[in-house]
Amino acid sequence: MGFLLTTLAFAVIGIIASLCARICCNKGPSANLFHLTLVITATVCCWMMWAIVYLAQMNPLIVPILSESE
Amino acid sequence: MAEHGGGAGCCPPMDLFRSEPMHLVQVIIPIESARLTVSYLGDIGLIQFKDLNAEKSPFQRTYAGQIKRCGELARKLRLFKDQMSKADVTPSAKSEAKTDCNLDDLEVNLGELEAELTEINANSEKLQRGYNELVEYKLVLQKAGEFFKAAERSAAAQQRELSSHQTGEESLETPLLKDQEPTADQSKQVKLGFLTGLVPKGKAMAFERILFRATRGNVFLRQASVEEAVIDPSSGEKVEKNVFVVFFSGERAKSKILKICEAFGANRYSFPEDLSKQAQMITEVSGRLSELKTTIDTGLLHRGNLLETIGKQYEQWNDLVRKEKSIYHTLNMLSIDVTKKCLVGEGWSPIFATQQIQDALQKATIDSKSQVGAIFQVLHTKELPPTYFRTNKFTDSFQTIVDAYGVAKYQEANPGVYTVVTFPFLFAVMFGDWGHGICILLATLYLIFREKKYSSQKLGDIMEMTFGGRYVILLMSLFSIYTGLIYNEFFSVPFELFSPSAYACRDAACSEATTIGLIKVRDTYPFGVDPAWHGSRSELPFLNSLKMKMSILLGVAQMNLGIILSFFNALHFRNAVNIWFQFIPQMIFLNGLFGYLSLLIIVKWCTGSKADLYHVMIYMFLSPTDDLGENQLFPNQKTIQLVLLLLSLIAVPWMLLPKPFILKAQHNRTHQGESYTALQGTEDSLQVEAGHDPHDHEEFEFSEVFVHQLIHTIEFVLGAVSNTASYLRLWALSLAHSELSTVFYEKVLLLAWGYNNVIILFVGIIVFIFATVGVLLVMETLSAFLHALRLHWVEFQNKFYEGDGYKFAPFSFALLGNEEE
Repeated sequence: MGFLLTTLAFAVIGIIASLCARICCNKGPSANLFHLTLVITATVCCWMMWAIVYLAQMNPLIVPILSESE
Repeated sequence: MAEHGGGAGCCPPMDLFRSEPMHLVQVIIPIESARLTVSYLGDIGLIQFKDLNAEKSPFQRTYAGQIKRCGELARKLRLFKDQMSKADVTPSAKSEAKTDCNLDDLEVNLGELEAELTEINANSEKLQRGYNELVEYKLVLQKAGEFFKAAERSAAAQQRELSSHQTGEESLETPLLKDQEPTADQSKQVKLGFLTGLVPKGKAMAFERILFRATRGNVFLRQASVEEAVIDPSSGEKVEKNVFVVFFSGERAKSKILKICEAFGANRYSFPEDLSKQAQMITEVSGRLSELKTTIDTGLLHRGNLLETIGKQYEQWNDLVRKEKSIYHTLNMLSIDVTKKCLVGEGWSPIFATQQIQDALQKATIDSKSQVGAIFQVLHTKELPPTYFRTNKFTDSFQTIVDAYGVAKYQEANPGVYTVVTFPFLFAVMFGDWGHGICILLATLYLIFREKKYSSQKLGDIMEMTFGGRYVILLMSLFSIYTGLIYNEFFSVPFELFSPSAYACRDAACSEATTIGLIKVRDTYPFGVDPAWHGSRSELPFLNSLKMKMSILLGVAQMNLGIILSFFNALHFRNAVNIWFQFIPQMIFLNGLFGYLSLLIIVKWCTGSKADLYHVMIYMFLSPTDDLGENQLFPNQKTIQLVLLLLSLIAVPWMLLPKPFILKAQHNRTHQGESYTALQGTEDSLQVEAGHDPHDHEEFEFSEVFVHQLIHTIEFVLGAVSNTASYLRLWALSLAHSELSTVFYEKVLLLAWGYNNVIILFVGIIVFIFATVGVLLVMETLSAFLHALRLHWVEFQNKFYEGDGYKFAPFSFALLGNEEE
């Protein structure tokens, strides 16, 4: 399943990014929580966008119809 | 209002999510160390003093005199700055060597400098005036001299002519005339006088006319224009002038002419009739001119040196005066003790700064060698503290976006935390093109790399705004690169980056590609929109349907986040009523209708069903008991819809009715309790008085609360529909963006390419670049920015954000400079 695999990839990227944020700018627990929130929000946003576009093309009701001139 | 308690105990408080905890502090400072103490507090910049003398006018306050002194010094400094800018002396940047000069020395110093400068100025002005007068005089001498010479020549010629006449033609009449003429001439010459001077060229015509009229034509005027503009001695401006000589007869005419000269601003100069005297005068005037010139030059040099020395220290002095003024301004806000020995100040400060403030107080006591230390204590009050977020250069611009709508209430959940990501993300949904994203990214990276240089210098309005929002723009560009990859658009051109397209022709001849269409032969395109859609006839229907549904899904998600934040607010403020009678029914209402719609969209995509979602949603309200028929997406759909509809209907009165009644009951209970426990102890009542809180005994108006709740409910119910519809702007703007970039690409660049002509291609490329930058990168960015702003301010924040707080404005020297500019 392409959907689950890519979702997994997003999750992995999200985890790596949050680990990076944790390691690179460790400025106390409050700041770390803030960075984690940012990374999670960004990952969720990106994943949602991808998932919507992917799902919309999974079972197409309409297909591309080429223009006459081409 | 419920108590303001700490947050949830499970995890540490998140940065930026809640504003810094504040407390009201009282400092009692002995009067001898007051100035130093306040100055140290200003260095820390973490305390906002309350004005305890609000009822006093500025002149009645303790330190009014000092403020006046500072004002006077500032005036002198402004004078210096004025003089420096006139003399093109730029004050040197903030000097590295910080000499410790105090206000008294500075006052003396500045006073001396000012006196010197004004004297130099007055002298040089006088000299300049004399110089200008001499210049004019010289001009008059030259020009008028020419008149007289010319007149003499012609007179001589006439004489010769006359004499030749006389010698050549001696008739009977001549002796008679000869006798008469000289006498008549002599009598006339006695009365004939003349005036010479300069009149501005613009007024010359009128001057001549008036002269003629006033003397009834008994005047002879000669004018000659001066080639170069001369500086008028009285006004000091450059004016084009005419030299005039006017001949008249009689004293009355003379006085009239004098008056006219005065009225026209014509400067008169005496003119010797004698030719030899004229020459002498000219040499004399030239000599004096050169003398004056050297004097003026030395004066200017001296002045320049003086200004240069002022310029070296100007910034430092200016800083000092500004600081002193702000210190006294702050001291004026403190109330003076009856014994006149100490000042009492109250102010807000963040709790984390307590130690810093105490250290500063101690240091000031030691440095000012005061016997008594300052006292620092925390006051308890029910007043709402100011809102203070500790932002850094990255989060600051996002916080500004939120603050522009309204400053958060004290400790309220801050939408800024999510705005950091969701704002650029929603922007990018409308601005999805990775080519354009890269362009913006490069522009911002340039700004960010030159950050140090730009932050120190003054920028123009637009540049300042762009620079201030550079990190917002950075994230915006990164997200637009991402969404551009999802939309598969690079300047509107798709690429098969991630795998070959999932669609192919039905047969080898590809005969049906333009009638029935392609067929899906592989797995779905793994990342983003399939490139096969680009340019096809079904591209728009597909993209419209996709983007419209995406807008609704993103919108419902963001609105849910908003409502969840209202839950955290209620939790933080220990407000159970808001959880049970606001948060829960709101969640049910929004998700019962639009959450269900989102679910239907996803189910439809997953199953590939041909159900009509409009129909489903509309008939869910109109006839919920009807059979769904072919529009059924999953079993038991009808029952589920009925349940959801009923829950949503119940949620409305659930939001509206219980809360006002519960609030009323709560109010009654606390009031009863209060009436029995009012006389608890003297200490408590004293503290209440010290807090002098006007909101302590708030009147409870049931009708007001009820109407408020009614409005809130109506707003939410209608808002759920209209806000969801409002998110469709995501679809509209992203459609507009992709269509515009397609037009520019195909109708400009490809068209120019088609001509096979280098010049046309070149022009086409130029037009394409300008259109892309001007329309897409600038205007589209602005419009997408504004729409993202609206989605955050209205659709997201009205779910939880009150935004009726006030900003923490500490007394800080670091902030002084920005305010003044």
